[in-house]
Amino acid sequence: MKALPWLGGAALVLLAVGLYIGLVGSPPDVFQRDYVRIMYMHVPSAFVAYLAVATVFVTSILYLWRGRESYDQIAHSAGELVTLFTAVALGSGMIWGKAVWGTWWTWDARLVTTAVLFLIYVGYLLIRELAEDRRRGARLAAVIGIIGALDVPVIHYSVVWFRTLHQPASIARGDIQMAPPMVAALMINLVAFSFIYVYMLLTRLRLERLEAARAAAELSP
Amino acid sequence: MSAWQRAAALARKDLLLEWRGRETITAMAVLALLVVLLLGFVIGADPARAPAITWVALALAAMLGVTRPTQAEIEQQALETLLLYPGSREHIYWGKWAAILVQLTVLLGMLLVVQGVLFNVDLWPKLPALLGVGLLGIVGLATLGTLFAGLVIHVRGRELLMPLLLLPVALPVVLAAVRLMEVVMTGGPGGLVWFGVLAAFDMLFLLVAPVLYDVVMEEA
Repeated sequence: MKALPWLGGAALVLLAVGLYIGLVGSPPDVFQRDYVRIMYMHVPSAFVAYLAVATVFVTSILYLWRGRESYDQIAHSAGELVTLFTAVALGSGMIWGKAVWGTWWTWDARLVTTAVLFLIYVGYLLIRELAEDRRRGARLAAVIGIIGALDVPVIHYSVVWFRTLHQPASIARGDIQMAPPMVAALMINLVAFSFIYVYMLLTRLRLERLEAARAAAELSP
Repeated sequence: MSAWQRAAALARKDLLLEWRGRETITAMAVLALLVVLLLGFVIGADPARAPAITWVALALAAMLGVTRPTQAEIEQQALETLLLYPGSREHIYWGKWAAILVQLTVLLGMLLVVQGVLFNVDLWPKLPALLGVGLLGIVGLATLGTLFAGLVIHVRGRELLMPLLLLPVALPVVLAAVRLMEVVMTGGPGGLVWFGVLAAFDMLFLLVAPVLYDVVMEEA
């Protein structure tokens, strides 16, 4: 845990570089103009949200299999980050959508999948809080964490096909060539957000351990 | 007793309980009927909308009803005894699953009749296909519903959490079943894709849910 401040510092530097290129160093898009800059934080947050879903999935399985408390602590921390980053991705996506598509919300497959994902992980956190005791909550939440992650591809494809088989997609995604600074901004921010994710995960994990330690200390006279 | 016998005995008990009171099926049927009436009236009883309205009604009714067999055990303080019987907890899962499946099938039959009458759809020539599609969807709802029913008894607020868990996770079932039913009724393309989605969903969770049920029911 000694590396934690270094990790946070690295994330901050990377984010500063990414934001500088994204906001100042890169040209505006031909069609989206300056709104394209929202993408430099929207795409990384969506990416990190899926990273967090994967973390919950793996650590939930490990917790149920091995029963070690630390796996559950990671799963809990990552579960909170899923809701955070899906919310950021949804919010930034909607702002971008209002500016570029002219509407806050379209029934686009990715939007719907992300919204459903957000709701599933709200349920994940609620189950944990409302359970009879801590251990039980951890087990029940692990079950939801596994079901939720397995469901993601099924939800995604059913939502995609539900729209596209009936009507053509509202936005045709051609292969738009991106200027090198744009690619750089996106890539650097992807790395920066991944660093932020790991930093937040570890910080949250430390809090979780402190809480567990206090709970144990209160129990023993 | 073999696994089959245990599961069958439990399903028989649950169905017998339900048959004597017929409370769950009544509540589910009335809710489903109300949803169909309400949606049919508000957004219009166009035959093309019938599949969507039917499946929304079915999913909401399932959400209401799937907790009952497990909830009844709690009310009669029978759950602990049930768990104490020797053998795997998976058998309990399959027993509850079968009981819920039968109830949802009855509900599906009723909803198909309602659909035929209220939406003026000619069902007879397509009845076997519609029932088949319906059963595929119901299997998906029952599979997750049974697991979540076992899950919510361990938390405060119990049934309040059911919609939050079941509806988002079972979204693919509703989407695929709606489209598949449309394909059956209009003969359009895309049937195979949706059959694939439903079958994949059912198989995935039929494999995973009983194992996780064991985890859920374990004594903490």
